[in-house]
Amino acid sequence: MTPSVFLQSGDLLPEALNISFKLVPAIMVVGMLTLFLAIGYVFKVADTEGMWVAGRSIGNIENGMAIGANWMSAASYLGLAGLVALSGFYGLAFIIGWTAGYFVLLIFLAAQMRRFGKYTAPDFVGDRFNSDTARAIGALTTILIGFVYSVGQARGMGLVGLYVFGTDYVTMVIVMMAITVGYLTISGMMGATKNMAVQYVILIIAFLTAVYVVGFTGGYSTVLPHIEYGQLIGELSTEFSEPFVNAGFYLWIATAFSLIFGTCGLPHVLVRFYTVENEKTARQSTVWGLFFILLLYWSAPALAAFGVDLYDASQYGPTFAANGGMSGGEGDLIVVLAAQLSNLPTWFVGLVAAGGIAAAIATTAGLFITASSAVSHDIYTNIINPDATQRQQVFVGRATIVALGIIVTVTAFDPPALVGELVALAFSLAAIVLFPMFFLGLWWENTNRQGALAGMSVGLALWVAAVVNDLIFHFSDLFAEFVPAIGAALVGTPLVFVVTIAVSMATDEPPERIKKMVRQCHSPEPMGQQQSAEDVVMSADGGQSPADD
Amino acid sequence: MYEHILVPTDGSDAAEYAVEQAVDLASKYGATVHALYVVDVDATSYSLGTEQVDRIRQGHLDDMPEVKEAADAATGYVADAAAEHGLAVREHVVPGEPARAIRKFVEDNDIDLVVMGSHGRSGLSRVVLGSVTERVLRRTRLPVLVVDVHEKDAEPDAEADA
Repeated sequence: MTPSVFLQSGDLLPEALNISFKLVPAIMVVGMLTLFLAIGYVFKVADTEGMWVAGRSIGNIENGMAIGANWMSAASYLGLAGLVALSGFYGLAFIIGWTAGYFVLLIFLAAQMRRFGKYTAPDFVGDRFNSDTARAIGALTTILIGFVYSVGQARGMGLVGLYVFGTDYVTMVIVMMAITVGYLTISGMMGATKNMAVQYVILIIAFLTAVYVVGFTGGYSTVLPHIEYGQLIGELSTEFSEPFVNAGFYLWIATAFSLIFGTCGLPHVLVRFYTVENEKTARQSTVWGLFFILLLYWSAPALAAFGVDLYDASQYGPTFAANGGMSGGEGDLIVVLAAQLSNLPTWFVGLVAAGGIAAAIATTAGLFITASSAVSHDIYTNIINPDATQRQQVFVGRATIVALGIIVTVTAFDPPALVGELVALAFSLAAIVLFPMFFLGLWWENTNRQGALAGMSVGLALWVAAVVNDLIFHFSDLFAEFVPAIGAALVGTPLVFVVTIAVSMATDEPPERIKKMVRQCHSPEPMGQQQSAEDVVMSADGGQSPADD
Repeated sequence: MYEHILVPTDGSDAAEYAVEQAVDLASKYGATVHALYVVDVDATSYSLGTEQVDRIRQGHLDDMPEVKEAADAATGYVADAAAEHGLAVREHVVPGEPARAIRKFVEDNDIDLVVMGSHGRSGLSRVVLGSVTERVLRRTRLPVLVVDVHEKDAEPDAEADA
């Protein structure tokens, strides 16, 4: 239906990119990676020597930056501008989808999740529905999300690496992924809040500088490129500025829907809310996180418009030529290309490239650690070997990261879609399988084990069918029309809600203990600083029943 | 000769095999037995997520019931064995990297003997995990009694329920 949106591997490589080894950008990237390693190491030493300050909590702003860095991957940094550049108006569905979800998260999930108080997303599913099978499906979904999402990151890092180090795409994917996996298996601390905050600062400075400098040198904008790029719209071709040219109305809505609810179901986003001081901090960090994300999202369409105009004017243009035009690889690199086509010095383009690598590494760290905890904590320790020692957990966790790293690397050699699209697939999975479990689990106490299992199984099957149909083996045009993989949640999420509710109503209600835990998540009484719903239920012990809302 | 004997434990069989020897020595010298469980920040990072390391760092170990439970079970095993012999026993739980945390504990608490078990790992698992015992041996100047789990192979799980 939208063949133009899904590119073939043939136009994977960015022809317009200046591929060669560049000394100054290479030093910048290596310096940045060393900084991450140093921060991880300092933290590790602090941990092992017990040098942390007891009672010190992570502030809203720092936590918000961590949310921002964890969130903004190569898909936001590179892919978003790429999607807007390649598919114009359709790309805006990604901007809306990837931000509006935070409102749903803020209103319905953040504080309640904090109150439920568990460690991982599968933990929530397993404990709320009192089922190891539900926990296993939750863990499997978490791993699958980590995998699809990371393939997009690997592709992004490989493409940016091409600009900085030259050589070829496959080599760059291998090198970049090896560095990331090496980091994580050695220190594991790359996802620490401090490191995330630093990664955020690097990526946002790089991106904003790129927008301002490209806008200024190109004569497009002065102080507010986020608005001034509007003047360009009339001059750019209709493929860019006219609504629903590249993709229809239905696909637009389906994509935005998937991304909005996917945001609320992503395990690596939700884990941040488990550890904040209290539910107030959970809410405030969400707002800060959204603000830090918006700084980049406001700028992406401007940079995309500048990029398209620069590309039109260059020897490779026009962007939307019938033959050739901007390739998928070039779209994914439009952020770097815009800087390069503006004839800016290589060190500056190198800064922009380094920001992309920071974004990709920060998110991959978060995803891989989430996947390793899904295997090590949820599957291995909770289901296979309850007596697992800490050493065994470390071993299983590291093995997971290495194995996942290898699979992701190999898949990224010839990815079936653009960076932003690959990541969107992970969102539609999260929106279909996990979001309904979180939402119903927290808001409807009668959701039971049978309902959850039925809902998750149906959701998983639907998502797999949509992905197979779109990317691997096409079996139905009608199915592709209404359940596109990228927007499968528009049909999938309501379907999973209906299945879960119907099965829950047809079977026995969950035990009273679980219902009380759910009610406690909504009690108007503020909880003690570090209490979880389970603690409160335990201590109440059949006494006064927790307030209902 | 020995007043404070340290028994680091991670709750594994290998660690528990060492307890018997530690208790025997302690009763001979009338020493206090210190049971130490290190909440491994690496394990926390890989199994619960880096965010949980932040939580430990903030000193909220009480907020993590499962972790605390595993720690209490491990040190409780040592405490029970020592109590049976009427020995003074203290249980400790500290977060950190095991070998370093043990060394630091030894320095801060006037320990004069460490008794610990060893898996006798070899090959790949030794490369990946290393040996905490080996690192403690190398980093402390105290006498360390290493009880190898393989010597007890003839009677597996004999002590498991003790």
